[in-house]
Amino acid sequence: MKNLEEQIRDASSLDALSRVRIELFGKKGALSKEFAKLKDVPGPEKKAFAEGLNRQKAHLQDVYDTCYETLKKEEIERLLKAQAIDVSLYSNLNEKGALHPVMTTMDKIIDYFVALNFSIEDGPKVEDDFHNFEALNLPKNHPARDMQDTFFFRDKAVLRTHTSPVQIRTMLAQKPPIRMIAPGAVFRKDYDITHTPMFHQVEGLVVGETGEVSFANLKSIMSDFLHYMFGEVEVRFRPSFFPFTEPSAEVDISCIFCKAEGCRVCSHTGWLEVLGCGIVDQNVFDAVNYKDVSGYAFGLGVERFAMLLHKIPDLRMLFEGDTRLLEQFR
Amino acid sequence: MILTRTWLDIFIDLKKVSNEKLYETLNSIGLEVDNIKEYTIPPKVVVGKILSCEKHPDADKLNICQIDIGSGIRQIVCGAKNVVDAEYVAVATVGAKLGEDFEIKHAKLRGVDSEGMVCSASELGLPDIGDGIMILDESIGELIVGRELNEYKKLADTVIEIELTANRGDCLSIHGVARDLSASLKIPLNRFDYESQNPEKIGLARVSKLIVKGKIDASVQYALANMEELYTSLLFSLRLAFIDELQSDALKNTLKYITHTTGVILRAYDVGHIKLEEDEKLTIKLENNRGIVDVIINDKLYSKLGITHVQEIEATEKSSRVLFETSYMNPTILTNLVAENRLETDELFYNTSRGSEPNLCFGINYLTYLLESYTKSKLFEGNISLDEEREDKIVTVCTTEVCQLIGNDIPKINIMTILTDLRFKVQSTADDKFGVTIPNYRHDIENIQDITEEIVRMIGINNIEAKPLEFKESQRINSTMERYYAKKSLRSRAVGAGFDESISYAFSDKLLLAKYNFPLIDEKLDIINPITSDFNTLRTTLLINLIQAVERNINYSKKRVALFEIGTIFDNNRKEREVLSLIYSGQSETEYVGNAGKPKPITFDIFVKKLSAIIGNFELRASTKDNLLINPYQSADIIINNEVSGFITKVHPNVCEDFNLFDTFVAEIDFEALSPKHINAHTISKFQGVYKDLSLVVDKHLPYSHISNTIQLLDLPLLSNFYAVDVYEDKELGEEKSLTIRLFIQSLEDTLNDKDIDYTVNTILEKLHNEYGAKLR
Ligand SMILES: [Zn+2]
Repeated sequence: MKNLEEQIRDASSLDALSRVRIELFGKKGALSKEFAKLKDVPGPEKKAFAEGLNRQKAHLQDVYDTCYETLKKEEIERLLKAQAIDVSLYSNLNEKGALHPVMTTMDKIIDYFVALNFSIEDGPKVEDDFHNFEALNLPKNHPARDMQDTFFFRDKAVLRTHTSPVQIRTMLAQKPPIRMIAPGAVFRKDYDITHTPMFHQVEGLVVGETGEVSFANLKSIMSDFLHYMFGEVEVRFRPSFFPFTEPSAEVDISCIFCKAEGCRVCSHTGWLEVLGCGIVDQNVFDAVNYKDVSGYAFGLGVERFAMLLHKIPDLRMLFEGDTRLLEQFR
Repeated sequence: MILTRTWLDIFIDLKKVSNEKLYETLNSIGLEVDNIKEYTIPPKVVVGKILSCEKHPDADKLNICQIDIGSGIRQIVCGAKNVVDAEYVAVATVGAKLGEDFEIKHAKLRGVDSEGMVCSASELGLPDIGDGIMILDESIGELIVGRELNEYKKLADTVIEIELTANRGDCLSIHGVARDLSASLKIPLNRFDYESQNPEKIGLARVSKLIVKGKIDASVQYALANMEELYTSLLFSLRLAFIDELQSDALKNTLKYITHTTGVILRAYDVGHIKLEEDEKLTIKLENNRGIVDVIINDKLYSKLGITHVQEIEATEKSSRVLFETSYMNPTILTNLVAENRLETDELFYNTSRGSEPNLCFGINYLTYLLESYTKSKLFEGNISLDEEREDKIVTVCTTEVCQLIGNDIPKINIMTILTDLRFKVQSTADDKFGVTIPNYRHDIENIQDITEEIVRMIGINNIEAKPLEFKESQRINSTMERYYAKKSLRSRAVGAGFDESISYAFSDKLLLAKYNFPLIDEKLDIINPITSDFNTLRTTLLINLIQAVERNINYSKKRVALFEIGTIFDNNRKEREVLSLIYSGQSETEYVGNAGKPKPITFDIFVKKLSAIIGNFELRASTKDNLLINPYQSADIIINNEVSGFITKVHPNVCEDFNLFDTFVAEIDFEALSPKHINAHTISKFQGVYKDLSLVVDKHLPYSHISNTIQLLDLPLLSNFYAVDVYEDKELGEEKSLTIRLFIQSLEDTLNDKDIDYTVNTILEKLHNEYGAKLR
C-alpha cells in the first residue's frame, strides 16, 4: 500500500497521474483487488478490515487530489508562460485623436453659461450692415468702425466682425427677458503674429426690466466666470469704451504666468486683459424697439483664452491643422 | 498717448502721488496704462561746465576739454563734434557705472590723460536726441556744476504710455489727462494764463483780415509772428523723443509740443514770401465748400480745416513770418465729411476726428509763452478769430436711473460732486433729477448712460459691490443648444476614431476650388477685399482646406494624418450650411510591434469603418458627385435616412500628386443629417431565429445596393435582418461574381418551421432571379 502512495506521488505530469489513477482506482485497479479480498475475511474481522480499507482509500484519494491540484497548476502555469507578452510594448498607441484646444475652451465657456441658464444662440456668418454695425450703435463713418477691419462682399454684405449681431437677431426674434450667449467664428481683415482673419468669440447678453439688471450683476458674473476659467486669480475692472455699451469695462486677470510679478506675456504689468463688457447702450435697445429694459453684454476671444489656458505660443498654428500641436492634446 | 510725470506737473501737482498710485488711478479712470518706463541716471554722472576745449595734438577727431565738475577740474578727452558748441554737459566721472560692465576709469587716449566721459543722451539710457553729446540747458532746471544728473527729474523722468479708447479725444493731451486726474485725485488743476510781454508794435488787424463765406461750423483763431532764433531746447527734444515725435525742424517740434501739451490743433503757414502791396492786407478767407472749410490765403488754398493742409506752404524753422492757426471742428461732422468725400487726411486728423481741445486761446497763449520765453520771435498784437456758435449741451440726470444702472445706491450729493469735479456744471434741484451742462471738450457725453459711465469711472469699478443675478425665468434649452451638444458628441466620437480636430479659415482659393470642380460663390456675391489670394473667396467645401493641412503635416514628416472639422461652407448663392469633413492620409494605424513598424496604408475598408464608428449607420451607393477629388472606382454617395447626405472617396491620384499626399480618403457629410433622431424601440421576438447563407452568382457589375433594395421592397415579415458577407470573383466565373448574403429569419409570434423558412428564402431567390438573373451557386 505504501508503494501505491509513492506511485501517485511520483507521477510527474497530468498524463502520468491519470495512468496511476486507473491503476489504483479503476475497476481492475489495485484498490478493487484489495476490496475483493473482503469476501475471504472471516466474519468478525470483516468490519475492521473494511474500515481499514476505506481509510486507506480515502487517504490515497487525498494524496491523489493534492497531486492533481499541484500538477494542474503547473500545467496552466506552463501554458500561460508560453503565451507571455511584453505588455509594455503596447504603451501609447496613439489611436485616439485630439479635440482642438480652441473648441474645448469654447466648450468649457459654454458649460459655465449653460449652467447659469443662458441659452445658446447662433446667426449667419455673412451679415448685413444693419446687424453688424448700425443696430450696434456703430453708424457709418463712426471711428470705431476703423478698429474692425471688415471683409466686404460685392453686394455690400459683410463677414461678421464680431458675434454681437447675434444679440440683435435674438432681441428681434424674442421678447425680454433675454439671457443668451453666442459662440462662433468672426472675421477681421488682419493677418500677423497676433491676428488671424478668422477667430472665435463668445458673446453674452442679459436683458431684464429696467432696474433688474445692473453693472453690479455684470461684475459679479464676470468675476465668477473668470475664477471658473482660471482658478485663483485676481480680477480687475477698468473703464473702457465700446460703441454698444455704456458704461463699458475691460476686465483683467492677474498674470497666470508670473503670479503678477511681471513678465513678457503681460508686458510687465502683471495683468492680462481677457474680456470686454458693459451696460447695453440705449441706442441698441432703440434699434430693436425694446422699451423699459436694461441689460448688459460681454464678449471674449476664445483663442486668447485657449492660448492662456494651455500656454500655446503661436496663434496661427491653431488654424493649420498642425498635428504637432494637436497630438499634445490626445 | 504718451505722457511723462514732470510734463503733467505743468498742470497738476503730483508731489504727493507715488508712481504706483498714479498708474492705479489712470487704470481705474479708464486710461489704461500700457507701458511704463522709469528712467534713472546712474550715480556719479554730474553737471559739468566746459572751461576750455582744444584739439588733440595727435588725433583730429578728439578734443581735450577742461571741465569743472564741482569737486574740481578734470581733463576729459571727447570725440563728439558738437562738444565745441557746448558749455554745460553731462559728465560721467571716474567710478560711474554706465552699464553692467562699463565703469568709467582713468584712461589715456592717444597719450593724453582723460578722467571721465562726456555723455550723449543714449549713453545715459535716455532716448536718442541726435548726434553727439547731450548739451545741457536750463530747460531742465537751474544748472549747478557738480550736481548729480539724476536729481534733474525732467531728465530722469517717468514715461507712461496709455491706451486711449476712441471716445476719449479729450485725453489726447497732457492737459487733458491732467484734467481727468485732477477730478479723480482731487488735486486742483493749474490754470495756464499768459499775456504777451513784448508784442510787435503793429496790431494784427492792421496787416490782415478775415473773410467768411457761408456758414462755418468751426472755430478758428489766427496769430502772426516774425520768427527769430528758434531752437529746440533739451527738455523739448527729450519729451518729443519720449513720445517718438522728435524731428530736426525746430518749428515743427514747437508745434508738436504745443499740441501734445494743450490738445489744441495748431498749424503754421509760411507767409513771409507773400508779396503785399502797400496797404494790402494778408487776406484769410474761410469758405464753406459743401461742409468742408477751405482756408484760402491771398487767393491760394492753404488748408481744409481739421483735415489737411498744403505741404508746400507749411512753415519751417527757416520761415521769417509765420501765420499760426488754431482750430476746432466737431469730430462727428468732420469724420462724416472725410468719409463721404473720401478725403486724404494728415496726422493731425487723428486728433481732430476724436475731438481736439476747443479752447483755442489756450493754444495761442501757450504758443506766445513759448516763443517769447525761448526765442526772439515777436507776435503781432492781438489775434483774429471766428467762434462757432455752439449751444451748451445739457443732460438731465436722474439719480434713481444712475443707481439702477450701476446696481448700487449712490447718494445724489456724491454724483453731483463727481460731476462738478469733472467740470460739468450742475444745477442743484430739490428732487431726484437735475440738469448738467457738459464741458465743450467732452463731445462724447450725450445721455444718462454716458453720465453713469463718468460716475463709474470716478468711483472705480473695483469699488462697486458685485451682486449676483436673480433667476426668475424658465429653462432656456433651444434647438441651437441641442445642435451644439450633438456637435460636441460627434466631435468626441471622431476623436475616439483617431481623428484630430482641425479648424481652418472659412476662406478658400478660387482657383483651387475651380480646378477641382467645386462650386464657386456667384461673382456678384463674392468678397471685394480678400486678405490674400489664397483666401480670395468663401469655401464651398472643407476638403481643400483639410487637404492643404495634410500636405503641411506630411512636410513635417508625419506618416499618418487624420483630421476632421465641423464647419460652415457656402453654396454659390452664399447660403451657409455646416458639414462634417474627414480626411485620412497614410498609414492605417500606429507603427508598433504588432505590425513590425510597417502598418498597411489606409484602405476604403478601414476608413468606412471609422466613419461608421463616428456617424453610425449609413448606406453607400455609387457616387453621383462630380468634383475632381472623386476616384471613380472607390467613391460613394452617403445615404442617411434615404437621402444623399454626403460623399466618401479615395482621393484621386492626380490630386494626391498635386499635394504630395499618401493614399488618402475623404468624406464630407451634411451636419443636418447627423443630428440625433428620435427612436422608438420595436418589439423583440421571444422565439429563436436562424441564420441562412444565400450564395448567389450574379453579374459582376451589379452593385449590392440594387440587390439589397430589391430584398427590402419584398417586405418579408420573417426576414428580420440581412447583409452581405462575402464577394468572390475569379476567372472561372468570368463576367459574374459570387455574392453571399446572410439572412436572419425570425418570427415574432411563433417558433419557426421549415415551411416558413423555405418560403422566405425561395421568395428572395425567385425575385432576384427574375430581376437580375441571379442563380444559386
Ligand atoms: Zn506676467
